[in-house]
Amino acid sequence: MSSRGDYARSGLVVLTVLVLHLALFSDLRVLGIAPEVPLALAITAGLVGGSQRGAVAGFVIGLGIDLYLPTLLGLSAFIYAVWGYSVGLLQERIFRSAWWINTGVTALATVVGLLTYALFGELLGETNLYTDHLYSVMGVAAAYSLLLSLPMLWLWRWSWPSLRRQEP
Amino acid sequence: MAAGTRSARSRVTLIFLLLTSATLLTLDARDFEPLGRTEEALVDFLSPLRDRLDDLFDPVGDGWAGFTGYDDLEDENQSLREQLQQLRGQQILESDAAARLEALLAQVGLPYVQDIPNVVAEVITANVGNFDRYSVQINRGSADGLRHGMPVVTRGGLVGRIDGDPQQGYARVTLITDPEFEVGVLVVGTDDVALAAGGGDGEPLRVQTGLEIDTAVEVGDQVVTSGLDRSRYPPGIPVGTVSELDVDDARLQQLLAVEPSANPSGLSFVTVLLYDPLAEQP
Repeated sequence: MSSRGDYARSGLVVLTVLVLHLALFSDLRVLGIAPEVPLALAITAGLVGGSQRGAVAGFVIGLGIDLYLPTLLGLSAFIYAVWGYSVGLLQERIFRSAWWINTGVTALATVVGLLTYALFGELLGETNLYTDHLYSVMGVAAAYSLLLSLPMLWLWRWSWPSLRRQEP
Repeated sequence: MAAGTRSARSRVTLIFLLLTSATLLTLDARDFEPLGRTEEALVDFLSPLRDRLDDLFDPVGDGWAGFTGYDDLEDENQSLREQLQQLRGQQILESDAAARLEALLAQVGLPYVQDIPNVVAEVITANVGNFDRYSVQINRGSADGLRHGMPVVTRGGLVGRIDGDPQQGYARVTLITDPEFEVGVLVVGTDDVALAAGGGDGEPLRVQTGLEIDTAVEVGDQVVTSGLDRSRYPPGIPVGTVSELDVDDARLQQLLAVEPSANPSGLSFVTVLLYDPLAEQP
């Protein structure tokens, strides 16, 4: 069961990481490409919290970043909710919670998440998403997600201590 | 049993969230005004915190840019030194060229744009994500009189336009390099109004329609906004210089590559022209 403290801490994590992304991470570019921090945060939420928490966290994070993107409001929320849920579902049914598996899954899900974001966006009439540039973005963002996944996983475990109490 | 219930509950949650997202997407695509106002209020609510963190982390971002782009900076420095040498030698010619452009504009009946009310703005973020590389955010918004579609210039010429309804203290600028960016142009000294479109990062603009095959155009000719036919841009803003010429034999039109006169990358300050084409109508 989620406690009020879980909600408060996870809200704090989402808000802090989003603002940090806007103020800091979006400037830390390699080859002109910034880390996909919000997407990685949604994926790690699924890895730690499972499908339901992953979906909700993904939706909220996506909605937050949508406010600052020129694309349609709800596009990131849709994709991040799907990936938060999917990764959470895989984690519940297939993965072991080894740190290296979680890290690898975050990087891989970042790549697939970006691809679905671009394809779905183009389907909705957005432009400049599915271009040659996308492949470079996927590569660099995956490398960043590898690096950032461990602190993010830690943040989610900190914000949801009630999950540890439920473990057998 | 418990796992099954949990799984069903998370499926229902996902469906609810996806339906909510789809609703938001639909409303935003239809420019539903209350949604825009809510977005604006949320961004304004977060902006003080973001501004403070921006100030705090600016040195980190600058340091990172210096670290990752050190080789590029060295190359750029070298290239700028060479350009400076050339410019010193051509200073007299350049001032003559500016006067010549003004004279040419006057000759074809185009006013110089400097009398239009304007607002100087600082570029606050190049871009937030990886898919918005053809836009920047500036620190002026609706409170300063900015509206959708207003032209954005630098000393060099046109760099973009205000995109979407600006928020109170922020606005988004779509850059001239965006392949979706279109502007009506005139090659100075000709009468044909042509359509120029962005060519992508580091690429010249493309003119593919509107320039008859017998119109006299040469490499090096100046290209300015036409300002005709309810154009959202006033006439006479420098757009660039013709760098390549080609001919489309099938359509009997000339195809031009136009090197932008203003560099849209690495912008720090821009000027927004408070130009409303409808207000200009007689």
